[in-house]
Amino acid sequence: MSFRIPKQAREWLNRDKKINFTFEGETFTGFEGDTISSALWAAEQKVLGRSFKYHRPRGVLSLANHDINVMLTDGTDTNMRGDIVELKEGMSLNAVNTIGGVKKDKNSYIDSISPLLPVGFYYKAFHTPRRLFPFWENIIRKAAGLGVVNFNYPRILKRKQHAHCDLLVIGAGPTGLTAAYEAAQAGLEVTIIDENRHAGGSLGYNRAGDKASVEYLDDLLNKVVRHPKITLRTDAYAAGYYPDHLIPVVEAGGITKFRAKAVIVASGAFEQPPVFRYNDLPGVMLGSAAQRLIYRYSVKPFNNGIVVTANDYGYRVAIDLLDAGTKVVAVVDLRSGSNGGLHAAELYRRGIKIYPGHCVYEALATSDKSSVRGAVICAYDDKENIALAANKFTLECDGIAMSAGWAPAAALLYQAGTGMQFDYGVQQFVPNRLPEGVFAAGKVNGIYDLDQRMRDGIRAASDALRHLGHSVAPYAIEKHNGPSPSHAYPMVPHAKGKNFVDFDEDIQIKDFENAAKEGFDNIELMKRFTTVGMGPSQGKHSNMNAIRILAKIRSLPVEKIGTTTSRPFFHPTPIGHLGGRGFHPHRLTAIHDWHQAHGAVFTDIGAWKRAAYYPAANHSKEDAIQAEAMAVRKSAGIIDASSFGKIEIYGPDAAEFLERFFTGSYISQKVGSCRYVLLLDESGVVVDDGIASRLATDLFYLSIGTSNAAAVYREMQRSQQEWQLNIALVNVTGAYGAMNIAGPSAREILASLTDLDLSYESFPISHIQEAVVAGVEARVIRVAFVSDMAYELHVPMAQSQHVWNALIEAGKKHGLRPFGSDTQRLLRLEMGHHMPGIDTDGLTNPFEIGAEWAIKMDKPYFIGQRSLSILAKRPLRKQLVPFVLASNFNADMPMECNLVIDGNEIAGRVTSISYSKFIDRCIGFAFVTPAKKAVGSEFQIRTDSGSLVTATVVETPFFKNQIKSQKGA
Amino acid sequence: MQALNESLNAKKDSKTALKTTPVAHAYIKTTAKWAIVNEMEIAVEFASNDIEQTRKKVLGITDVSCFERYGIKGPQASKWLADHELAIPSNPNSWALSNQKDLVLRLGSSEFLIEDQLDDVASKKLADITRVEGLYPVVRADAAFILSGSEVLNLFSELCSLDLRDSSLLANDVVMTQVAGISAIVMRQNLNGEQVYRLWCDGTYGSYMWEMLLEVAVELGGGAVGLSSYKN
Repeated sequence: MSFRIPKQAREWLNRDKKINFTFEGETFTGFEGDTISSALWAAEQKVLGRSFKYHRPRGVLSLANHDINVMLTDGTDTNMRGDIVELKEGMSLNAVNTIGGVKKDKNSYIDSISPLLPVGFYYKAFHTPRRLFPFWENIIRKAAGLGVVNFNYPRILKRKQHAHCDLLVIGAGPTGLTAAYEAAQAGLEVTIIDENRHAGGSLGYNRAGDKASVEYLDDLLNKVVRHPKITLRTDAYAAGYYPDHLIPVVEAGGITKFRAKAVIVASGAFEQPPVFRYNDLPGVMLGSAAQRLIYRYSVKPFNNGIVVTANDYGYRVAIDLLDAGTKVVAVVDLRSGSNGGLHAAELYRRGIKIYPGHCVYEALATSDKSSVRGAVICAYDDKENIALAANKFTLECDGIAMSAGWAPAAALLYQAGTGMQFDYGVQQFVPNRLPEGVFAAGKVNGIYDLDQRMRDGIRAASDALRHLGHSVAPYAIEKHNGPSPSHAYPMVPHAKGKNFVDFDEDIQIKDFENAAKEGFDNIELMKRFTTVGMGPSQGKHSNMNAIRILAKIRSLPVEKIGTTTSRPFFHPTPIGHLGGRGFHPHRLTAIHDWHQAHGAVFTDIGAWKRAAYYPAANHSKEDAIQAEAMAVRKSAGIIDASSFGKIEIYGPDAAEFLERFFTGSYISQKVGSCRYVLLLDESGVVVDDGIASRLATDLFYLSIGTSNAAAVYREMQRSQQEWQLNIALVNVTGAYGAMNIAGPSAREILASLTDLDLSYESFPISHIQEAVVAGVEARVIRVAFVSDMAYELHVPMAQSQHVWNALIEAGKKHGLRPFGSDTQRLLRLEMGHHMPGIDTDGLTNPFEIGAEWAIKMDKPYFIGQRSLSILAKRPLRKQLVPFVLASNFNADMPMECNLVIDGNEIAGRVTSISYSKFIDRCIGFAFVTPAKKAVGSEFQIRTDSGSLVTATVVETPFFKNQIKSQKGA
Repeated sequence: MQALNESLNAKKDSKTALKTTPVAHAYIKTTAKWAIVNEMEIAVEFASNDIEQTRKKVLGITDVSCFERYGIKGPQASKWLADHELAIPSNPNSWALSNQKDLVLRLGSSEFLIEDQLDDVASKKLADITRVEGLYPVVRADAAFILSGSEVLNLFSELCSLDLRDSSLLANDVVMTQVAGISAIVMRQNLNGEQVYRLWCDGTYGSYMWEMLLEVAVELGGGAVGLSSYKN
């Protein structure tokens, strides 16, 4: 037995190649070009899936990726959409969301208890008694979702690319193809996108027995495909609309982000099901699905079929069914009177019974519920929308084709900001006000007649051309004329329900009525309460009917109900596509490989990979840090500081710029000296700090922290735009490498590589000199951040490895060793220096960290000055203080961010803390209340384990300056 | 630039303040042949000439960070270029070639990047010139690349959101954009009669950029090409 029929013109099959596969353990054969669903349907396998909630058997509904009746797994992929996934040799497929298989799903009992599970039941249940919630949660989590996530899914790269064109046409149906051709003829570079495997849209399957449509499609496609200005991409869906005509297009291999100068949306419309009892049975399908089965895959939808329609389209479907060899038992039309035009006449001629003013009251299932065995027909009051079931009768059939109308595929138009209005002539929302450069054509624009759709394509192309500056005459198009392609209310009430509106979520008409009774009578609220449109189909076949039902419940016109918000992406898109290739930009210093070769452990600071510490064999991180710090205190250490921000400020107004930008004074700064800089934001919050070295009257060299460097430079540029001073800013962060050699032996090591006089008199702390070090021109800065004896060398980045090597070599006999950024944090803590971002947060002002000394309030202006003048009048709420723990402290070590506790109150937090082997004490910084800031004050820190540790406020630095006297340094 | 053939034979003296290409870290994974060019250690061969020529035609990535380059900015920058008989690109975001040797990129109304092409030393000489008022040096430490071959636009389509086709990126255009998520300068030029794209980024991102360029290039059938390929 097979539903496969003889070859159809333009079928999508390669009948020379058979494909073997299994479904639920049973072997099947299809042809190359079949989808999973078409091959199974050809083999008369009708139960292809189970519904999400009630586990009802489901078959083909749209055969167009508009529904999720057929969701499968092959063991690797999950939630494969059987309607569109092409068959491949050896596939082993199972339906998702079943226990025990699609035919004998053990969860199918849920359907029988569905009256106990109305929409929203889970909002009201399971909350009490609370002790039972874990039990329910376990069940709910297992029931939620479709398919099983494969945590061993292979990493398959999905490229994310960018593409550009003059005109992007979405939809390769007759409208889109015509529009594209017209625009290309006028010289535009056009790309057409279509989600189907082959172009042509409904022209390929909506034939009503007319062979001319095939010939017309051939001609149109020939012109398009051969046109040098047109690129046609099928199996590609436009997933969303973003500003400036940015449209991500999803294909199997990845995502292409199109940026077009203009966009024509010719995306067509989704066929909408009429709503009647058991309209979800396998064998009940949309009319267009039946046509797709026939003409794309040469599969007969059923042997004896009924067409239930509420528009003239159903008559076309009936003719196609007849031509495919299906016996059409009857055409049941919800509309009274004479409908269907010439197609109705042909059906009469071919002996088909037509029932105007009737409805399918309910579909009848076979005993195993795997298919349809008949339909109960009765009269239908098209005005009141009620079934007149008194004289109902039964027609035997094995399938029902449904045609009730259309909903525009307008997601992208909504996302683009299109103003839509309801057109009663076509009973659908149509564009009223389109954004600049966005045009709509065809069914999405409310145009249904084939000839008129193609002319609408020409009209849209004409509009797009004019938008792009081409001189073309406007092209007028008349509105739809004739019977509405959509029924105003294709709903058939039934006392027993199961008349489904949303097939994803098993939502029935009564669910909407109940929602409205409970007050969820706004479309957005109703959506969330009933979950209509929230399944993977995103309401493609349910939203419009939901709006109509709500409008009827509230006795309002449809346009007063409005629509729900359309958001990207249009179809569910795999995470792998969204992820694409991993880009992790990172900066390396020129000495990176040396650090790596010497066992450095790296840490990410901003975009930089920095050596954090260098553990020796069997050394812990803590051991390594203490050993590196001891080397600095006892002999010498060297750190790669190339990641520091480095900015040159040139020009006559350079000092004035710094005066405005930072809190200190720089006008009077002498050439060759360095000064501390503190940057605030306008609200007076500490942003960053650093050192400004004056190299010439018109040149400052600024070095600042690693993390904020890029942001500080941006802010400098922004300020300069505003101030328009006579300066030039040059960011040389990446151009100069930097290294800091520190410790008692630092001077001697450095002296061996330079002729520079390093004596205190010639080169005291906070001064800069330009010199040659190891044959390389260097800027040498005398800093005291990690040690009172330290030199920071700034050299061209490309030569920094050379200088580093020279210093390492020269320092060997002194025990020089490298130290990392983690050690640097300990060293500066020992020195009593706080660090912005570590010891401050997004609310800290300079008064709270004791930085008043760095602020020159008497200057005419600096960033944050006004806020500081206000803050200065207010009492302090917190104060950063240095502290030590008891000298013999050997308990639970407090951590950074542990709270300072005063009684039952939070009085502050620890910002930095570490044990210092050199000092042999636990030292740190903490915010405390001002009452506790005096040296000798004690406060309590609560550790992670809850214990309280006493800390004592001290002075900094935490150890005595190693320089015996300035003269002797 | 020193003649490459000579530099290939140059021996590294540990006391010489050699520069290292900013891409060096990424070379660790290769068996490239190194040489010293313009006092910079750089990989000049990654594979046989035949293989590299094939890669060049499909998608070749070449590190040319060793080209000498120099930046200037300030109100006197244009005048200074004119005084030194260097071509001045007429508009910001455009480039010009001086004496067929020096590439001059106009990065803003008063900011320029001058780069030596093969066998030239002009920018190195310029860099030594004493600073004058209104003219400020911009020390460059770029990672610089040549991208060649039929698939180069395919590569850019993944790494850059801008339209870099001939119809959009005109012959003398310079674009400052993001490539692989970081700031970069891109232009196209003819080199030895062949259209190539040029790309510059901050040298500290050089290894990352090389790895990203090469990852995509290899997928598209191309690969690393040494500087020698352009010399020969």
